[in-house]
Formats: sequence, structure tokens, C-alpha cells
Amino acid sequence: MENEEKVLNPLESLRVIRETIDLAKSSLRENGFHYLLWGWLVVLACIADYYLGVVLQYPGHYLAWMGMAAIGGPAALVYEWRREKKHAVPANMVRDWYGRVWLAFGVSLFLVLVLTIRAHVSPIPFVLVLVGFATFVSGSLLRFKPLLYGAAAMWIGAAACLALGYREHLLIQALATVAGYLIPGYLLNVKARSSHV
Amino acid sequence: MYNELNPLLLSQLRLAIMSHLMVVREADFSTLKEQTGATAGNLSAQITKLQEAGYIDVEKTYKNNYPLTLCRISPEGIAAFEAFYANLKTYFDSDNKP
Repeated sequence: MENEEKVLNPLESLRVIRETIDLAKSSLRENGFHYLLWGWLVVLACIADYYLGVVLQYPGHYLAWMGMAAIGGPAALVYEWRREKKHAVPANMVRDWYGRVWLAFGVSLFLVLVLTIRAHVSPIPFVLVLVGFATFVSGSLLRFKPLLYGAAAMWIGAAACLALGYREHLLIQALATVAGYLIPGYLLNVKARSSHV
Repeated sequence: MYNELNPLLLSQLRLAIMSHLMVVREADFSTLKEQTGATAGNLSAQITKLQEAGYIDVEKTYKNNYPLTLCRISPEGIAAFEAFYANLKTYFDSDNKP
């Protein structure tokens, strides 16, 4: 932008708009890594919890969730650290808000788990409501409709829990996670790859 | 028939600022500087013009004790950009007609 008052003709105007919008969109680009990582871990933890608790009647069935956190936490941190090191994304308000939403989700999730376990109620419907909320806001920030549909799947799953028992809640959560995390995660990867071309 | 293009948006830097804000809605000064490649002085001058036209709102605040200038596109700015883009398209649509 050497010339501060350069007057554009229509063709140049169109070029400036296209180039700037492409650049701005690339700064918002988010791939599906976290959705796929947590999606697969949650689905596997649900199946493992169900298998250990219902089929094997093993009292420590909840250990599946600890395994999920032990794998997912470090994997997510290492991925973010390596991504930042490889190519720093220019700071922008959308990315700021995106981070804040998931930070608030993490704090809320921890409290919901503690409160529901202490109250001896199934945490799954409450977790699905929270995940649906964070996924909906993320989808709105990234302007990515599959995440909005995914959030709806989470909320529908939460409502469906009303009619079912704890063991079935695990299967509902697995299904809602496939619709809410895995499908949008793969679609985000497709979108991120196609915008690199 | 061509509609007159908004002269305020026929400047390269002002149009780049508005195009960026159309995507992200809100950006800080250093992000806009990085994204447009403009000098701080020039960017500041063009932001002031867009603010005076009511196209963007500027908020001066602090983040971690450092001054932070936030620029947010206003509803008038969105309408002006959309009208500019629609008028711009008529140039090319008319050119393509036999």
C-alpha cells in the first residue's frame, strides 16, 4: 500500500476485495484436528465405558474417561505448540473469541462433572448441553454450518437422555459426538485442504 | 447503466480495511496493519476517514497494559460495502452482455 490515496478502477477494486477477503479468511481457517481428536476419544471412551460397565460389570469402568483425558490433553497441547511454532497465525478477534469459548467450556465442564458426580446424577446430558453451546458459538465464529448442525445434534442428544438410563446415555453421547464432532471435523479438514490449493 | 461507485471506497487501503472487516467484523490496529501491509500513519489516517463516514467504530482500550485500538465495521459500513460491491458487479455484468 505505497500510495496512500491510490484511486482504483473497478477491476482493481474487485482485485483488492478478493485478495483481502481471501487473506482474511485464511487467518480464520481452522482445521478439524481438535474435533477429530476429541471426537474419536469421546466415542472410544463411551464404548469402553459401556463395554466395561455393562458387558464385563467392571467397577472401574469410569477409568475409560481418565484414559481419554490423559491422551487428549497432552496431544492437544503438543499439536497447538507445534502449530504455533511452524506458522504463527496473525492474531485476530475471531481467533481470540474462539479460544475464549473453549476455555470457558473447559472450566464449565470441570464444574459440571464435579457437581453431577457429587449429586449422583448422570453428567452426560449436561455435558452435551455445554458441548452443544460451545460448538454452536464456534460454528458461528468460523461461519461453518456443519458445526451448527453438530451443535443441534448435541442438544437433541441431551434431550433424548431424559427418556433413557445412564448406560444408554453413553451410546447417545457416542452418536451425538459422531454427528457433532467427527463429521464437522472431517468436513473442516476437507475445507482447509481445498483452500490451500 | 453504471451506478456511481462510492469514492470513499475507491481508495486501495480503505477498501482493503473494509474488505477485511467484512470477514472478521472486528480487528485491532496491528492486525489491520499486518493484513494490509500499510504504514501505521497511513492506516491511521484512512481509519479516521472511515470512522468519520460512520463506516467503522473505533474503540481505544488496553490489553495487558498496552494500548489497543479496535476497529469494528458498523451496520452503515456493511450496507455501504454491499452497495459498493453490487455496483461494482454491474460494471462487469454489463461488459459481458452481447
